[in-house]
Amino acid sequence: MYLLRLALQSLNNRRVTALLTVLVIALSVTLLLSVERVRSEARASFASTISGTDLIVGARSGSVQLLLYSVFRIGNATNNIRWDSYNNISTLPQVKWAIPISLGDSHRGFRVIGTDQSYFTHFRFGRDKPLSFAQGKPFADLYDAVIGADIARELGYQVGTELVLAHGAGAVSFVEHADKPFRVSGILAKTGTPVDRAIHVSLQGIEALHVDWQQGMPARGAGYVSAEQARELDLTPTAITAMLLGLNRRIDTFAVQRQVNQFSGEPLLAIMPGVALQELWSLLSVAEKALLLVSACVVLTGLVGMLSAILGSLNERRREMAILRSVGAKPWHIFSLLVLEAMALAAAGILLGLGLLYIGLGLARPILEQEYGLFMPFAWPSPAELKLLATILLASLLLACIPAWRAYRLALVDGLSIKT
Amino acid sequence: MTSPLLELNELRFAWPQQPVLLDIAHFRLQAGERLFLKGPSGSGKTTLLGLLGGVHLPQQGEVTLLGQSLASLSARQRDRFRAEHTGYIFQMFNLLPYLSVQDNVLLPCRFSARRKDRALQRHGNLEAAAAHLLNGLGLSDPALLRRPATALSIGQQQRVAAARALIGNPELVIADEPTSALDADSREAFLQLLFAECSEAGSSLLFVSHDTALAPLFDRSLALPELNRATHLEAL
Repeated sequence: MYLLRLALQSLNNRRVTALLTVLVIALSVTLLLSVERVRSEARASFASTISGTDLIVGARSGSVQLLLYSVFRIGNATNNIRWDSYNNISTLPQVKWAIPISLGDSHRGFRVIGTDQSYFTHFRFGRDKPLSFAQGKPFADLYDAVIGADIARELGYQVGTELVLAHGAGAVSFVEHADKPFRVSGILAKTGTPVDRAIHVSLQGIEALHVDWQQGMPARGAGYVSAEQARELDLTPTAITAMLLGLNRRIDTFAVQRQVNQFSGEPLLAIMPGVALQELWSLLSVAEKALLLVSACVVLTGLVGMLSAILGSLNERRREMAILRSVGAKPWHIFSLLVLEAMALAAAGILLGLGLLYIGLGLARPILEQEYGLFMPFAWPSPAELKLLATILLASLLLACIPAWRAYRLALVDGLSIKT
Repeated sequence: MTSPLLELNELRFAWPQQPVLLDIAHFRLQAGERLFLKGPSGSGKTTLLGLLGGVHLPQQGEVTLLGQSLASLSARQRDRFRAEHTGYIFQMFNLLPYLSVQDNVLLPCRFSARRKDRALQRHGNLEAAAAHLLNGLGLSDPALLRRPATALSIGQQQRVAAARALIGNPELVIADEPTSALDADSREAFLQLLFAECSEAGSSLLFVSHDTALAPLFDRSLALPELNRATHLEAL
């Protein structure tokens, strides 16, 4: 116990070097933990985003791409599904329910989803949790919108607030549907999924916005249709972006998937969310592992930095060692002193690293959530993270034996004579 | 006559691959004696102190402290034996810069249970033991105890080192040029204080220095080059 006090006081005496060493270790620990946390949280949050959906159907492209844009609202669809194809598939006998999804518009950076009432009744996330309303009710009117919890919080919207949708999915849009404003009819309870950051309107609403558009541009002059005029028109959609399917029996999944993939009307693709997620992981795992490896190397660099700092200090500390020997410290006391010093540095580095991680998490959380739909809770270190930290501590213990052994040898050779 | 506190017999020592550095036929120090050992630099003085402390072992002959042959002890036992029975004062920078004056004085008590027990026996608690010694050595300001060792003057630091060597009443105090950094007046004053405290603690003092002006103050004085037959050979 007294040795630990001595070690700490000795470190305090060299506090600039010690602080720098701790800082280097802390930053490397923060990096390693961030990578590990983003990795595991990304998995957890991705896996809990969709539940209960047996198949996702979209225009033929890659399964990962379809999964990303239909569920995670990342990237864009290359093509649409015709409305009649949707009708054909959703009425297959094996299909219990179908949720149409129409993407392409946005409001201040939040994506707009055209869908129907089935979204609120059949969509599941997490462990089979349904959507629930914090306020208000599903859209009923043509110009009603249901917003996610984050939108309500961040933009301060309430039931009754009017909002103008914009064409395209970017945060800044040059073409707004200012002539046909929507009104918030309901706010969904927080889900921790991309649903929180989506604006849900009816398919007819989406259709009404674009009913007078020609060649991707708003109509001018005679072709213009006002919001009220649009109500009189037939607003049956011509196309949607994707659809989520729930089947009566899970065992039919493969059969329906084959049917969709061989659909004669147009080239379509049906994917099982779980399988596509696995595909995504295997795609990402190489990069994940590389990142983890690189950050482990950074930690090692930090520890080697500590090693060289301690080794470098040994020569100027031979006097200190000789004094300790003269008052009765045994060589193994000197050895332990240096090991304790290294452990103190590593432990301080780890604690500071954890602190930095949580500070960084606090700062990066909104950005991660907004830009990448990644929800990072302020959780205690997970067992996997604790294992990493323990490994760092163990590595520093092993590395510390190098200067400690050298000091031990010096202590034996120098004895009580004071060198330098 | 009582057996000597410290005795060297037919001691020969050489560093590996080097000629014999020390060859001492006989040397003894009585209990309570204050001995001046004249040792110019390069005379093997530091090595001799290492041998007396049991840090090194001679190739021939033996060092006996308190009737105990150091060679018959293991390295760990020698370390312990040294800590329990010997206090050291070095030339300069004796103190650990990161400890307070009090913690520096108490260092031997952290590593030797016997010295700690003795200090406790006499003074009740370690702080009182340290304060008593420092007081005897002219460092009576209680505020001084908490100050870092580096905040003191060289003369004060050497007195703190003396207090550290004496705490827990070791039988032997070995001082290696402790006054070399002090001016003439402070040297004598320091020695007087050291003598007084050694008497009070009942410790013998082996004082190694090249400054013969101090020799008359001691009970006895010896010159290492005369004691050491190896240097005679080399001189020839």
